[in-house]
Amino acid sequence: MTVRFASDGAIMLEGVCPVDDAEPLRQLLQTNPGAAVDWGACELAHTAVIQVLLVAGPSVRGFPRSAFLRDWIAPLFA
Amino acid sequence: MNDFLEQFLVEGRELVEQATEDLLALEESPDDQQRLDSAFRAFHTLKGIAGIVEFAALARVMHVAEGTLAAVRAGDQPVTSELISDYLACLDQIEQWLDSLQRDERLPTVSDKITDALVARLQKSAPEGGAPEVEAAASQSAWVEALLARHPELRRRARVAIRYAPASDSFFRGEDPLALVDRLPELLAVELAPSRPWPALDELDAFVCNLTLTVLVGGAVDQVAALFRNASGTVDIQALSENQSTEGRAGLSSAAATMLQEQAALVAGAGAEDFIGRLGSAARVSSGVLQHAGWVIEAARVLQAAEEALRLSETSPFTVALREILAHPAGEAAAEAAGIESRRPEETASRTLRVELRRIDALVKLAGELIVVKNAIGHTSRLAKDGSELGVLTPLLIEHHVRLERLVQELQDSLLSIRVLPMRHVFRRFPKLVREMAAELGKSVRLVIEGDTTEADKAVVEGLLEPLLHVLRNAVDHGIETAPKRSAAGKSGIATIRLRAERQGEQILVEVQDDGAGIDTARVRAMAETSGFASPDALAGMSEEEITELVFAPGLSTKAAVSELSGRGVGMDVVRSTIERLGGRVEVASRAGEGTQVLFRVPFSVMMSRVMTLDAGGQVFGVPMEAVVETVRVPRERIVRVGAAEAFVMRDCTMPLVNLAEALGLPDHAREAPHANVVVTATAGQLAALEVDAFGEHMEVMLKPMEGLLAGLPGVAGTTLLGDGRVLIVLDMQELLQ
Repeated sequence: MTVRFASDGAIMLEGVCPVDDAEPLRQLLQTNPGAAVDWGACELAHTAVIQVLLVAGPSVRGFPRSAFLRDWIAPLFA
Repeated sequence: MNDFLEQFLVEGRELVEQATEDLLALEESPDDQQRLDSAFRAFHTLKGIAGIVEFAALARVMHVAEGTLAAVRAGDQPVTSELISDYLACLDQIEQWLDSLQRDERLPTVSDKITDALVARLQKSAPEGGAPEVEAAASQSAWVEALLARHPELRRRARVAIRYAPASDSFFRGEDPLALVDRLPELLAVELAPSRPWPALDELDAFVCNLTLTVLVGGAVDQVAALFRNASGTVDIQALSENQSTEGRAGLSSAAATMLQEQAALVAGAGAEDFIGRLGSAARVSSGVLQHAGWVIEAARVLQAAEEALRLSETSPFTVALREILAHPAGEAAAEAAGIESRRPEETASRTLRVELRRIDALVKLAGELIVVKNAIGHTSRLAKDGSELGVLTPLLIEHHVRLERLVQELQDSLLSIRVLPMRHVFRRFPKLVREMAAELGKSVRLVIEGDTTEADKAVVEGLLEPLLHVLRNAVDHGIETAPKRSAAGKSGIATIRLRAERQGEQILVEVQDDGAGIDTARVRAMAETSGFASPDALAGMSEEEITELVFAPGLSTKAAVSELSGRGVGMDVVRSTIERLGGRVEVASRAGEGTQVLFRVPFSVMMSRVMTLDAGGQVFGVPMEAVVETVRVPRERIVRVGAAEAFVMRDCTMPLVNLAEALGLPDHAREAPHANVVVTATAGQLAALEVDAFGEHMEVMLKPMEGLLAGLPGVAGTTLLGDGRVLIVLDMQELLQ
């Protein structure tokens, strides 16, 4: 799984997160309001995944590995 | 440009403005028959004048526009907000054509594709999913302007602006819009916004794309268009016009090149004893020349090279730098432009002005009266030559002077009144802009305009456009909350922005008031702290008002612009400096949850300024009266040294004291006197005291701005001639005290 709920209460995004991760991520964010998202191990994320993050506006941890996500998307959650 | 085109340009702009105004009014009240008739007439006349100048593309589009409007008039078609949008887009395009005509002095060549698309849009039979149109437009539509305004530092580098709203089912089609954006050549800025307001998380359909991406890139437009060829949804790709992206990068004039060569020769010929002096002066002149030519990076480089030369006690770094700059054609260094930004006010002023005939008649009459006075003075001077007594001549001269003074005053008033324009001239562009900005952000905003008949000098009215645009954009973007937040706060879903102008004596008040969330002072505090703008202790001691004022701080807002796309106060420092250039002031007030009010106070006219003269270092200088708070004489013993600077205490307030002669690099004479003559000034909300040799007088002057190579001279607002023929240099206090 590229999206999962970690034992420390954070939602982890790891590796290449495809479009199919959007709905599980949405559910996790909805059932765990206030949970941080750790995308330090995320290599790529589909637009749909980013969209869910934009709507939920969680606090994020780490910096994604993709330069694009790090430079252009991560600042939106700073 | 021939007379026909000149006339077409003026009338075309008026008609576009009229039509825009009517269409926006129609959107508010679709049954307003008068507005409909007026819009119809505007389109009809546009068609007519397009025919006169043989502008086929415009005539064709207008023909269709007129036809559809006729159907609306006949009641066959309703006025929908979609129809209004289509017509406004069409007017946008016409405005771009007019801009291009104004710039190139000839009618633009319009591809059939663009006309076809417009016609199709107006006929409401636009084919679905065609290839995205690329318009190498002369000027940009509002969203591009707004985008560039948010990223002023990218103006020089950005070559293409893209607004991309993928189809809502684009995820199902296997598209990944952000991945597409990632592939764009030389990404400079990426902004994400919801196409429609975001739903709550539990109502979100994760597979429906609701994003609009706005992107600036530095790569070539062909490459961009190729990447978007198969993209779903709507894609608007706009190549940024040459002057936008290569602003100020014209070649060096031969005069400038010659001056640079001379500076190199001056330094090369320096001996050991005059090396430092020659180098310093050559560096200043060269950087001034380069700055004037818009070669900002090169100007900075010359200064660096001079420092290097000074350090090595060798001329070569400087002369080599100059030679390289002279050898390189314009544009070479553009790639290094990163980080150094040049802000030149964009040329928005029009070159023509429509004047009422009676105002010209008044001038003709005045010219006649001036000739009478001239003849009378001629007669008196003949009397003087023939040896008349001084007792006879003196009353005559006094009489002539009085008459001449009255006439010159009248002449000045008449000329100023010709330059007067109503605020409407600028305000009427805003309803459409606000509408577009709000739609872009998925908000509903009502713009209420009051006092648009208030008149002011043309330069003031036109100078207000850019700052007002910034403030309105801030209000729509950051001030106004999203509809769900508004309803949660018990506010109407439709936000109101009030734009009001009013004349108060010699001042014009322009106010922008929104009913949004107000400035988040906690956030401004946090940003000021993280950006190292002020220490936590200093911030803790500041009142809410003082914190609010911080949105004008240049360091704060630019840093915020880079790190946080939604930071409040982006560009407010630019707003303040623009307004202060007009001789005005900006105030901001905000109440959490109730809204923000931004108030501009600008002078009625920028041509006449009241100045106070002072002596410093054996010369006379002028200081604008609006910067002067008071003049005081301070006994020397009350002035204390604080490190390298001086200060004194006035009414329990420590006032830093600057010696004007010293600040200007002039010899200082006044130190022996038991009192210091001090002028207390206020600029950008800061008090400062200037020590001068003597106070002079108050006078009204017509300021002539610095031109040519002197235009970039810091600290000088302009010059004027004194009665005895000396040049009075009027200081720009803000620049001087920085």
